[in-house]
Amino acid sequence: MILQADGLRKFYGEFCALDGVSLRVDAGEFVSIIGPNGAGKSTLINILTGITRPSAGSVRFKDREVGGIGPVRLARLGMARSFQLVQIFPDLTVLETLQAAGVARLGRGGRLFASLAGDREVQEAALEVVELFGLGDKRHTLARQLPQGDKKLLDVASAFALRPEIILLDEPTSGVSTADKTAIMETLVTASRRIGLRAIIQVEHDMDIVFAYSDRIIALHEGKVLADAAPAAIQADQRVIDTVIGRRAGAR
Amino acid sequence: MTQHVVNVLLSGVFHASILFLVAAGLQVVFGVQKIFNLACGSFYALGAYAGVSAVGWYAGAGGPPALFILPLALAGLAVGAVGIVVERGLLSFVYDRDETFQLLLTFAVVLMMEDAIRMIWGTSPRSTSGLYLTYGQVRILGAVVPVYNLIVIAASLAIALSIGWLLTRTTFGRIMRATADNREMAEALGVDMRRVYAKVFTLGTALGTLGGALVIPATAAMSEMGIELIVEAFAVVVIGGLGSMRGAFVGALAVGVLRSIAISVYPELEMLLIYLIVIGVLVARPRGLFGGAAA
Amino acid sequence: MKGGLVVVVATGAVAAAPLVASTYHVLLMLPFMAYAVVLLGLNLLFGYAGLVSFGHALFIGIGAYTGAFLTTHGRVRSLEVILVCAAVLGGLVAVPVAALCVRYVKIYFGMLTLAFGMVFYTFVLKFYRLTGGDEGTPFLRPSLLGRSLDAMPKIDYLVGPYYYYALAVLILATLGMWRIVHSPFGLCLKTIRDNPVKAETLGIGVTRYRFYAFIISAIYAAVGGALLGPPTGNVDPTLAYWTHSGNLVFMTLLGGFASFFGPVVGAFVFIYLQNWVMSIVPYWRLIFGAMLAIIVIFAPQGLMGLVTRRRPVPPSRA
Repeated sequence: MILQADGLRKFYGEFCALDGVSLRVDAGEFVSIIGPNGAGKSTLINILTGITRPSAGSVRFKDREVGGIGPVRLARLGMARSFQLVQIFPDLTVLETLQAAGVARLGRGGRLFASLAGDREVQEAALEVVELFGLGDKRHTLARQLPQGDKKLLDVASAFALRPEIILLDEPTSGVSTADKTAIMETLVTASRRIGLRAIIQVEHDMDIVFAYSDRIIALHEGKVLADAAPAAIQADQRVIDTVIGRRAGAR
Repeated sequence: MTQHVVNVLLSGVFHASILFLVAAGLQVVFGVQKIFNLACGSFYALGAYAGVSAVGWYAGAGGPPALFILPLALAGLAVGAVGIVVERGLLSFVYDRDETFQLLLTFAVVLMMEDAIRMIWGTSPRSTSGLYLTYGQVRILGAVVPVYNLIVIAASLAIALSIGWLLTRTTFGRIMRATADNREMAEALGVDMRRVYAKVFTLGTALGTLGGALVIPATAAMSEMGIELIVEAFAVVVIGGLGSMRGAFVGALAVGVLRSIAISVYPELEMLLIYLIVIGVLVARPRGLFGGAAA
Repeated sequence: MKGGLVVVVATGAVAAAPLVASTYHVLLMLPFMAYAVVLLGLNLLFGYAGLVSFGHALFIGIGAYTGAFLTTHGRVRSLEVILVCAAVLGGLVAVPVAALCVRYVKIYFGMLTLAFGMVFYTFVLKFYRLTGGDEGTPFLRPSLLGRSLDAMPKIDYLVGPYYYYALAVLILATLGMWRIVHSPFGLCLKTIRDNPVKAETLGIGVTRYRFYAFIISAIYAAVGGALLGPPTGNVDPTLAYWTHSGNLVFMTLLGGFASFFGPVVGAFVFIYLQNWVMSIVPYWRLIFGAMLAIIVIFAPQGLMGLVTRRRPVPPSRA
């Protein structure tokens, strides 16, 4: 077991975003969270990654209670994430962004007088990730000057640069053209193998992607877990079809 | 003993009345436009100097001393028009920028106004000699209090109530509150931000200039009064809560009275006490007594 | 490395100034060098960590008064000791101030720092028995590298040994800051300036880095403040007034906060321009205020931004 959530509830005033969500992710799993807008997916991710505190319930990561310890400590424990609305460092280059992740991972942040350029470990690690994600020729480009698809890729790449044990991706392919989507996903899978990632959780709307890559799918609806099963079972689940997937002409 | 206490309290309340006007101007602008106007102290100074000139001209033209408060107040309000110039001519260019730049622009206004005032009125203090006691004095619980002070306190109270009425009972007030709450939505509902901002900023300026004018009989107009007052006004809005009118009222009372007490008990302590309270408030409860969003 | 060449040439010019320029202009270089040190530190906070302090003059005051007290009351004249004490005191005071202030951002940070600055100002002003009140405290001529130069005429001291000492301090300070900015620490600062939320998800503790940036910038300000004392021979409370803090930010913006040498350029231009303007008309604030307005509206990247034309978009309200 890597990540486990029990009875998560989140209230924003009167509004109930999550109403008793429990889930569990084991090593080696690629889990997709699906659901209509407003189902609570982003809230769930935010709680799992420590940015939001749950109103009730607990989160355990690697057998530690981590509810509310905040993203900084979670990152150090081995959890990384990417964002739905792409988050980058606008005035840093691609390489600098990945170097920052390396610095954080290797604990070099306290070095005031050491040269960043001279830090071989950080430099090599950053270059490795840059190549892995196909951003090599753009590595000196400022993040804010990248096209949208590459910004997304950078957001995900910096999460990978932390060499985490688990990554939570919030709509990694949203806002990206269909051709790019598959490219991103393939890069992701290759990268995970390279860095020894133990589990991936993603929130995703594109059902083709979801069914192609997931070991397990969790369907959320109105703050509750509607179904939590392997893709085949989900495809056959009428409730999920009705609320999330919709009728498809010809099942996969 | 009581007369001493009364004196201290009433002079504190008098100072609070002036502070309230300036702070209200600050709050109105911050609440609606989310800009902390460092120049509000400069507007206060402008009002003070304009007041002195107006009263001087009035006395020279032979006006009855008893009515001097009219040209004083009118001058104070009139120079509030500077607000339109500052808003349209400068601030409107930075509404979409980071608040740091907006703050720095108001600092630029502080610098410019400091010298503009010096250019027009010179560097020596100006005062309205002798008019302070035109309305005589009264005894309250043994203390001798100039009636002028009471007039100003009453006027300030009246203005506070008017602002309250403006905010709650008029359409414009509602627009102000809506914009303060959620600018995007107000815009989406068809509010013309440019005109709202222009009006609000001018209102804020006029409150400051009026405050400056009204303080004139009690103090002389001096070069540093602008940059000195902003720190007090700033203390008021921190204690009261940024953007809150009630905060301006309570904060002004708190600062005015505390300062008065500090001066009478231990003069060295004066503003030091106020700043320490400001720090305390910012640490313990950043949004102040009545403020909205947290830090 | 065109940029490096410019820096070397500029440094050479500054070093040669006492030999070729008039005494008047050389004397102006002294406050410039002091402010350059201050601003190098301030920009760590402003340009690299993204925090605008409206109370940094507090630390200038601390450095200046440390030196003044040491020379007048403490009978210590060694400038080395003075600078170290200023740095240490600046750092010590910065610890609680920073601990409080860095938990807040933007306007609240500005307000809190302003309040602290004014606390110091008021304290120094009102407790005149200790500090000399608004007349200030004398800052007696410090000895340099153990040599007391009291016998020298003041001007010779200032444009000679003191000038080169200050220049050496500035060069050391610049080298130090260069290392800091290009270190892993510096990179982390930039991430929290650009996107604190994302920085946290990478494991970079935003508050902690801001805290250290604040301390470092305070130490620089205190050292610069100590250097401001000897040329005038006196330090007074106005050094800590909030408008002085505002001018520091002005200078940084003028030179360009996005560039390493921007603040140094800003200090230079500000001091010379102010001096020149004041010789023509006493209303320098009017002109400078207008200048600041123009910079904020049209050229927020400052002079270095205009020169390098690498124009990052000024931060907007997003």
